[in-house]
Amino acid sequence: MVYDSIANALIPSPASNPKDLAKKKRVNRTAKLKQSKLDVRREQWLSQVKNKGSKEENRGADRPKTPARDMHGSNEGESRPMVKLVINPGGGEENDGMMNHYSDWESPSNSPTSHTSSLASNRSVTNFTGGSSSGSSSSSSGSGSCGCYSGSMTEEDDGDDGCLDDWEAIADALAADEIKSETDHNINPESQVNDHVPQLEPVETVKDEGMNCHVQVNRRAWRPDDAFRPQGLPNLLKQNSFPMNSERNHGSGAWGFKTAGFSPIPMTCPICCEDLDLTDSSFLPCPCGYRLCLFCYKRILEDNGRCPGCRKQYEQCEQGIVTSKMARSYSMIPSR
Amino acid sequence: MVDFGRVQKELQECNKDINVSGISVNPKFDNLINLIGTIPGPVGTPYEGGTFKIDIDLPEAYPFEPPRMKFATKVWHPNISSQSGAICLDILKDQWSPALTLKTALLSIQALLSAPEPDDPQDAVVAQQYLKDYQTFASTARYWTESFAKTSSLGVEDKVQKLVEMGFPEGLVRSTLEAVGGDENLALEKLCSG
Repeated sequence: MVYDSIANALIPSPASNPKDLAKKKRVNRTAKLKQSKLDVRREQWLSQVKNKGSKEENRGADRPKTPARDMHGSNEGESRPMVKLVINPGGGEENDGMMNHYSDWESPSNSPTSHTSSLASNRSVTNFTGGSSSGSSSSSSGSGSCGCYSGSMTEEDDGDDGCLDDWEAIADALAADEIKSETDHNINPESQVNDHVPQLEPVETVKDEGMNCHVQVNRRAWRPDDAFRPQGLPNLLKQNSFPMNSERNHGSGAWGFKTAGFSPIPMTCPICCEDLDLTDSSFLPCPCGYRLCLFCYKRILEDNGRCPGCRKQYEQCEQGIVTSKMARSYSMIPSR
Repeated sequence: MVDFGRVQKELQECNKDINVSGISVNPKFDNLINLIGTIPGPVGTPYEGGTFKIDIDLPEAYPFEPPRMKFATKVWHPNISSQSGAICLDILKDQWSPALTLKTALLSIQALLSAPEPDDPQDAVVAQQYLKDYQTFASTARYWTESFAKTSSLGVEDKVQKLVEMGFPEGLVRSTLEAVGGDENLALEKLCSG
């Protein structure tokens, strides 16, 4: 079932890409392949949401065109969120695609929604890559898979982003219900497609593995100083405005604060406010970690003998270790 | 011998973030033994809006012994004497730790204002009222806050002046004011009735 929808989505790539791909570098190609993966994923999602029944039709219509490249989409099933990030750079190849990406980056949506929206934009990127013919074919396939969406698909092919809104709205409404089933479906096609693909086009499989390695390496968003970072990527400012990124920055900030707040050895005795010398600062009279100078410690021992930090009796928490330590470091006391 | 170095440092630290905590500690006289602390009444309590002054006397052994604190402002609270201002708070007694400071002690008193412990009372009358008739307790506490803890109320001399202008003899006005705890309205009532 899902496999069919994948195939459905991938029609454009094989139809028009070969001559383009031949000219372009391998990097470009991987980018496009990833786009098609995303395309697949979106289509898959769409078909699951919209019509479980109508997929039967699609199977018949689309199977002949099924390319070997499906394997990307299926292999990526488990690392989908990463794919989203990796794929975006590829979109920079085409200007039209870039436009879509920008709108995607700027949309203040969190993970489930942004995922689908990026899928939507990437789909349109693929269409542009393929050219007008692929665009029409994909739109027709879209109408084939789910009639109610054909209109918006066509708009998308024309370079209109209006469909993104529809996508996000629907994704919002259905994400909660669909996430689980979606993941299930994502896992299934993996095995199915792996069976199919080698028969169709074994050469592609080898390349796929190489690309998958590439994807494995690039599991994070592009760094600004990355040599492979496509120029078409949104600039840093836009990335920072993306909620996920800003959240991450915030998180790291909190981390830094946490580590900074980790209590070091105090410079002065908290009781008498005198500076702690080397002996004092290596003196840890209580397991609670409360430090103080030897003078204050002696004063407390003469008094009630309770640790200022935890109010436990020093004698109790000391036991053998600290007492012996005391005997050395504190030898001046008994002589007084 | 009081550790003046520490007291000095405590005063600096406390008055540094007075804008945040609202808690201040200042010398009462020209020494660092007798201090005056002020705490704002906690929001959401009958003490809200009031500024409460607390007399602080530092013992010789401070910080190894707790500071002696009592309310200088009259306050209606189960754990604070309505007569003497004595405070029933464990950290000012056996639970004191040298790690505590004047500021943390005042913070604890502020917390006590928002969370009375009527089962361990200092003022039995107030505690009984708190347990039996909370509404009356709250209104009384609010009235006391209005009467004694509002900064807008006039200084003693101004009150004396005001009452003397009404025709009462100054000596009687002073003694009456003192008897009612400095509240000019109560003093006026008492003067009129007596």
